[in-house]
Amino acid sequence: MDFLAHLGMGFGIALTPFNLMMAVAGVMVGMLIGALPGVGPPSGVAMLLPLTFGMEPTSGIIMLAAMYAGTMYGGTITSVLINTPGESASVVTCLDGYQMALQGRAGPALGIAAIGSFIAGTIGVVLLMLVSPLLARWALSFGPPESFALMLLGLTTVTLLGGDDPLKGYISMVFGLMLAMVGFDIISGEARYGFGIPEMMDGVDFLPVAIGLFGLGEVLAGTEEKGGAQVKGKLRLREVLPSLADWAKSKWSIARGTVLGFAVGVLPGAGPTVASFLSYTVEKRVSKTPERFGKGAIEGVAAPESANNAAATAAMVPMLTLGIPGSATTAIMLGGLMMWGLRPGPMLFEKNPQFVWGLIASQYIANVMLLVASTALIPLFVRALRIPYSILMPLIILFCVTGAYSLKNNVWDVGQMLVFGVVGYFMKKLGYSPAALVLALVLGPLAERSLRQSLIISDAGIGIFFTRPISAVLMVLALAAIAVPLAKWGRSRLSSKA
Amino acid sequence: MRAADRITAALLFVFAVAFAAGALRYYEYGGSGGPGPAFLPFWLGVAMALLALMMLVKALRNPDPGEAWLPRGEGLRHTLVVLGVTALFIALLKYVGMIIGTALFLAALVRYLGAHRWWVTLAIAVGAAGANWLVFVHWLRLPFPEAGIWIF
Repeated sequence: MDFLAHLGMGFGIALTPFNLMMAVAGVMVGMLIGALPGVGPPSGVAMLLPLTFGMEPTSGIIMLAAMYAGTMYGGTITSVLINTPGESASVVTCLDGYQMALQGRAGPALGIAAIGSFIAGTIGVVLLMLVSPLLARWALSFGPPESFALMLLGLTTVTLLGGDDPLKGYISMVFGLMLAMVGFDIISGEARYGFGIPEMMDGVDFLPVAIGLFGLGEVLAGTEEKGGAQVKGKLRLREVLPSLADWAKSKWSIARGTVLGFAVGVLPGAGPTVASFLSYTVEKRVSKTPERFGKGAIEGVAAPESANNAAATAAMVPMLTLGIPGSATTAIMLGGLMMWGLRPGPMLFEKNPQFVWGLIASQYIANVMLLVASTALIPLFVRALRIPYSILMPLIILFCVTGAYSLKNNVWDVGQMLVFGVVGYFMKKLGYSPAALVLALVLGPLAERSLRQSLIISDAGIGIFFTRPISAVLMVLALAAIAVPLAKWGRSRLSSKA
Repeated sequence: MRAADRITAALLFVFAVAFAAGALRYYEYGGSGGPGPAFLPFWLGVAMALLALMMLVKALRNPDPGEAWLPRGEGLRHTLVVLGVTALFIALLKYVGMIIGTALFLAALVRYLGAHRWWVTLAIAVGAAGANWLVFVHWLRLPFPEAGIWIF
């Protein structure tokens, strides 16, 4: 069976000392990043991406993927202990997690989240391993129209699910696409919107933009509250282990969270955050005692925490097989893949099997690491959270500057990072979606190429997107995602007139 | 927030029109070989202009001025100081070099934000600048900007 042979090869790669070290480092750094309010998974991945430039791509992706898994758990620590989610996928955990902490049950809350994350993450990898090759094989038949339709669907769903105001989401997305137009045109070779500046003609790199929007932008938004919340108290290992009664209550929640999380995560555009909210809602619906939710129900921690880890793993499926990232974090990873000289998409499985299977095997290892780190090292992380913001923040800015500089060793990129830091600050304040912008910037050149190729094939008619069955379905879904908020907007205008 | 939305919408509209017009003026929209380099930029400009108009209409019709979103007083001062010090750090990078620049930047910002004791501030500044050098220059072989001017 070549499937097992592939997995064996993957473990052979993942278990080399250096890659193992990268997985461990990734999990630890990820947990720390997830735990620190103000730095979420996308900023963490963006800031660490430059560190991987000198490595083999396989080691690089192993570190980043382990980190992504780590952030999902790290965000839980602050949600439970100080009612401040470290990242958006742990927002819903605050509801019951913090209530449990107030009742003196912070330990079991963190423990069940760790166990749920481990189970969901591991099952997620199994599903990733089974689904991806099939999806990749199917996607091999995709031509430019299907690719374009798929990218459009990814962009519109991210926008739709990203924020409160779809209009601002679409503005962010179109702005990202406009930025992607700057620089050399892939088909004609002409430099667009360069204004004679060589750095501009090279185009807008996504990395300084991502570091600026997510890293510096978040830090600037956080400066208003000088100081910030502090973790008090200690937590011992013994206290982290949930009791048998806790386990009995949450095992089905973990199972439901895992399945739901994976299903949501695979969709382009819907990531861990959506998965965690949905699974919380589902748990509340199926519970015989829904009134306990919001008052410290352990199911309310177990389900969303499982769902977000399953979704984080599942988000790799569209990124690896279709080259369409499902979230801001995977968009940045995709950018990393392209920087390492790999071409994401169905061919990745055939051309770079060691990369794909090394990543898959390392995800199993990362999940074990995560379980060990999240139980044994909890006291250490709780202590790390006591580093004052006044020390942490300058260090994060330093990381942003070095990261942006290391891309091409020039100060222009650092300046660009600074500009987008300010843009990110305003976007956050005014309710725009930085995730939609980054995704559009990464997908922009690819989307433009497949759009123009499709139109060349069809001799300039847009009918080609609707006459091919797969592309037609995807296009209809994408257009529906655009139409829903428009219809809502129109209705609210009509009713406000009446 | 309503005023901010109005201003952003108006600015985005102007930008979008200029973007679309620029595309048509300077690049080729399309020819016998299919759509050209101006094709997508033009339509993106049109889409953005429409979105900006929608937002403008929405903001003008909304009677609720919304809550204040810009920080005031101390909060605003913090944000501006952090931004200013960072901008200065980046601007001076070429002249003072990465290592000295990093140490000065950290010392200034840590001191301003936390008022920690001087030796704590110094240890963080020197320690982080050294660690940064160790990882990026020594380990990853990245050429950092070196000091362009020497004071002594």
